[in-house]
Amino acid sequence: MIVAEQKPLEEIKGLIAEAQKVLVVGCGTCVTVCFAGGEKEAGILATSLRMATRIDGAPVDVSHATVQRQCEWEYVDPLRDQAHDADIVVSLGCGIGVQALAERFPDVVVVPGLNTTFLGLPTEQGVWEERCAACGSCLLGLTGGICPIARCAKQLLNGPCGGSQNGMCEIGHETPCAWQLIYDRLSAQNRLHLLMDVMPAKDWTTSRDGGPRRITREDLRLAAEASD
Amino acid sequence: MPGDCHYLEGNANAKRRVEYTQHLLRSIGLEPERLRMTNLSSAMGHQFADLATRFAEEIRALGPSALRRSRPAAQATAEEG
Repeated sequence: MIVAEQKPLEEIKGLIAEAQKVLVVGCGTCVTVCFAGGEKEAGILATSLRMATRIDGAPVDVSHATVQRQCEWEYVDPLRDQAHDADIVVSLGCGIGVQALAERFPDVVVVPGLNTTFLGLPTEQGVWEERCAACGSCLLGLTGGICPIARCAKQLLNGPCGGSQNGMCEIGHETPCAWQLIYDRLSAQNRLHLLMDVMPAKDWTTSRDGGPRRITREDLRLAAEASD
Repeated sequence: MPGDCHYLEGNANAKRRVEYTQHLLRSIGLEPERLRMTNLSSAMGHQFADLATRFAEEIRALGPSALRRSRPAAQATAEEG
């Protein structure tokens, strides 16, 4: 899932400084699950902004709405009237959601209420860790299901660096050494032979390094749009 | 008391949520001391009365919150009338 966290209230206040009417839009998918931008968080942010701007002496009319997903037009379209009614829309979607609102309603000023951080999972309730770098050429089949692109600070492909000490990465922050994890996992599965093949330098063109990406599935396109 | 919650970790969870709410109050511009959590059992009536009275005095000493002070005078009068 996409993991994000809310911007500090001071920063969001700065982003809505010119507005008298604000709409906070929550999203019911990833940001709900990481408690950053769901229905509850949208309500709390809207209330906080109303209270804070009133205390500051310049009260702002802040309402909120939440859609199931902010990254698909069908879910975003019903917001059209409410969005145009506001001076500024604060999107609590991930970066994709913010851009979807801005693209679908180009006349509306849309600002982000979250900092979208990484792709990851909750390892325990309340703790989310990065797991995927969206590199576009997944090699998890060779590393026992542990990603050295997302979890190794140096994105090494053929074992740990000299900074790996006691199974921990030299960057600290209680980060485990990804290659220690990979070694331990493959060892437990009796598949260490996978590490005997040297992986060549990674082709990063499938990753963000190759520029903004697009996937087209002709079999899924609607006939009218496919003929464009 | 901490650790004696009938719902096991209920009061520990509540403590964390109260602290988060105090953080929210601070970011809004209100004093976090306006929210307090205390552990009592339902059998501690006297202590509850004492605590409530003292807390009320502390809040009175803080005075009206910035939110109440920011309320337009006409609206405040209408509400009190």
